[in-house]
Amino acid sequence: MSEPFEPKIVAFVCTYCTYAGADLAGTSRMKYASNVRIVRLPCTGRISPMFILKALQKGADGVLVSGCHPGDCHFAQGNYHARRRWTVFRALLAFTGIPEQRIRFSWISAAEGAKFAELINTLTEDIRKLGPFEQYHELQKVIETQSTY
Amino acid sequence: MGIQEQYISEAAGLLASGAVKLVIGYCEGSTPDRRRPVFVRTPAEAERLMLDGACVANLSTYLITEGLLSDGKSVAVFLKPDGIRSINILAAEAQINPEQVVIFGFDIENGQARTLAGRKASDFTSVVEAAKAAGLSADLQKESERLVQMSAEERFEYWKEQFSKCIKCYACRQVCPMCYCRRCIVDVNQPQWVNTSSHTLGNFEWNIVRAFHLAGRCVACGGCDRSCPVNIPLRLINHRMAKEVLDAFDYYAGESTDQKPVLATFRQDDPETFIL
Amino acid sequence: MSRILLKNKLDDCIAAWRSAGFSVLAPVRRSDLSRFDEVERSTDMALDLVLPERTIKDHFFPQTEPLIKYKIKKHDIDSQEMLPPDMKRVFFGVRPCDASGLAIDDPLFGWDYKDEYWFKRRDNAVIVTIACTASDDFCMCTSVKLDPDSTKGSDVMLRPLQNGNGWQVEALTDRGNALLGPVASFLQEGSEAPAPVASVPVRFDVDRVMEWLADPASFESHFWKEISLRCIGCGSCTFLCPTCHCFDIQDEGDTFSGIRRKNWDSCSFAMFTMHTSGHNPRNTQSTRWRQRIMHKFNYYRGKFGVNSCSGCGRCTRQCPVDMGITETLQAITNLPK
Repeated sequence: MSEPFEPKIVAFVCTYCTYAGADLAGTSRMKYASNVRIVRLPCTGRISPMFILKALQKGADGVLVSGCHPGDCHFAQGNYHARRRWTVFRALLAFTGIPEQRIRFSWISAAEGAKFAELINTLTEDIRKLGPFEQYHELQKVIETQSTY
Repeated sequence: MGIQEQYISEAAGLLASGAVKLVIGYCEGSTPDRRRPVFVRTPAEAERLMLDGACVANLSTYLITEGLLSDGKSVAVFLKPDGIRSINILAAEAQINPEQVVIFGFDIENGQARTLAGRKASDFTSVVEAAKAAGLSADLQKESERLVQMSAEERFEYWKEQFSKCIKCYACRQVCPMCYCRRCIVDVNQPQWVNTSSHTLGNFEWNIVRAFHLAGRCVACGGCDRSCPVNIPLRLINHRMAKEVLDAFDYYAGESTDQKPVLATFRQDDPETFIL
Repeated sequence: MSRILLKNKLDDCIAAWRSAGFSVLAPVRRSDLSRFDEVERSTDMALDLVLPERTIKDHFFPQTEPLIKYKIKKHDIDSQEMLPPDMKRVFFGVRPCDASGLAIDDPLFGWDYKDEYWFKRRDNAVIVTIACTASDDFCMCTSVKLDPDSTKGSDVMLRPLQNGNGWQVEALTDRGNALLGPVASFLQEGSEAPAPVASVPVRFDVDRVMEWLADPASFESHFWKEISLRCIGCGSCTFLCPTCHCFDIQDEGDTFSGIRRKNWDSCSFAMFTMHTSGHNPRNTQSTRWRQRIMHKFNYYRGKFGVNSCSGCGRCTRQCPVDMGITETLQAITNLPK
């Protein structure tokens, strides 16, 4: 029996809410899947769609983007702007065939350590079921080989 | 007097009086069915101008030429409704002063050019409203619907095949009036978000970035699609973005010179069904 | 009498070449684009095209190709060359302009440093050209002193027969002769006349153009500004050109490892000559367009004795704003002496 597939997941989170939520999960000794790599940013408004593309390019099987609930943004409006951007970017990715299940968005406050842990676990399981994002990673593998013609 | 003669004489008049320094229009191309952009500076040269059903290019792209409008003088330009919307967006994004743009409006119906009355971008509000009311292209909707019906894997394969043809000539970017960045994100190398190489991955990334940056700004003039030397159906991806902003935010690009860009604004009750 | 290849024997030839270890490439229409690609049978081919949209240059000088794979270690760098594999290829149905393009670029890739990535592919390829019996509004081979049946760059020349049943076959090089070996039994002797080649009008006076370009006063002429006004600065003319050969070296990877790649670059791009300091010696589109014309019809011939243009006309055919070399050279031809 081969090893179960361990997905690589990159989480882009805002420092004020979701990162603090992840911190709370940790200090509360909640256990969650170790498949996630957290990248902390000042605000969801700072999370450029380029980050998501870069994560996929570098081999991520799934991406989570998360920040403060609407109304709770440290910078008042950052997450509202981000939300519009996500709506559009998500539609674009879906249209080009990048499965919606692999790119997820959430609101997690500093108090929601349990929600964070649970979400990471669900997400990891969902992506484990989908399997590695071979279609995309294949594009990178091709680059690393010799020319065929 | 036909529309072509009418506009030639008006263009000559504007140049003669010094009301505009330049007229950007169409002239004869290298084959009978081609029209090429032409820059007219004297009343005599205005005779070269042509206007008919073959004049499809969105000439507003020349207005963002560096330094063209910086002397404060006016320029006249031949524009269809999509070009007029481009002017509205460029003005809303503070790239041009719409007061400096004199518009020779026209539309193409059944292969013939017909006059659209007005001279300033704001004169064409009803034209743009009519375009919005007419809705997005039904043909494109049908084409893109075919893709939406596919599974994600099939769709990915479809675009992979299409984008593998891309040679990164950037004709799509250069011809687009909305692509005015002094330094395009693909040309930025610190950090380098997008691979500059035109392997399929680099092409995939470039095309996603291009489409995203045009979301809510594209007026569907079709310039990129016509320009693409390798026939990638860019119209479909642009259409999908236009549909998304229309459905989600009731946003139609280029309605007026003071319409806020869709991604630079928000409503508290914007839809968020997908957010966990 | 001459050797004849009948169309109904083409599949036998393809099979024979394939079993002799060649891959056979021919013009095809795939995914809404005409280009050279591998074929298995004659029905895959699109031999009716005046010209495929993409050139065969792509198969010798790809738009992007890996050169070396590297890994930076503490006191050392590991590097590994990534030469293309050995592969014998037949290019069937090449147009004379595309074949000439290869011959024009050969000296460039081999004059001081022999570019292995080019020559490895060149040396293992046999070019089977079909003379043109049709042309379109953009063809201009005759203007650059080539013809619809030029043999430059070709190993085998096929001339379509008047009756449309096949081609007259002429081996031009040893490589061409060797290619005909495995298919000798499918060729026959015949006396059918070849169809007349396409008549391509001379669109400009290339001697007058070269003379004008060589005049130092022309460099700063206002002409360049006027003629390039509508150029939008994309690279489609250069990337579709069978002779344009500029490239850029890019490292792709992270801090410690990556791949060094050779990517097409275009003199039409503003970034092409941009210095790190921010200074750009060719800072307007007119200077870039001048460079393109000067390079093709002045500098290149100064160095290698030929013009870097084979007259395919793709630059004009595909230009988003209907520009291209033809218009500029016509305008130069018509300048007052």
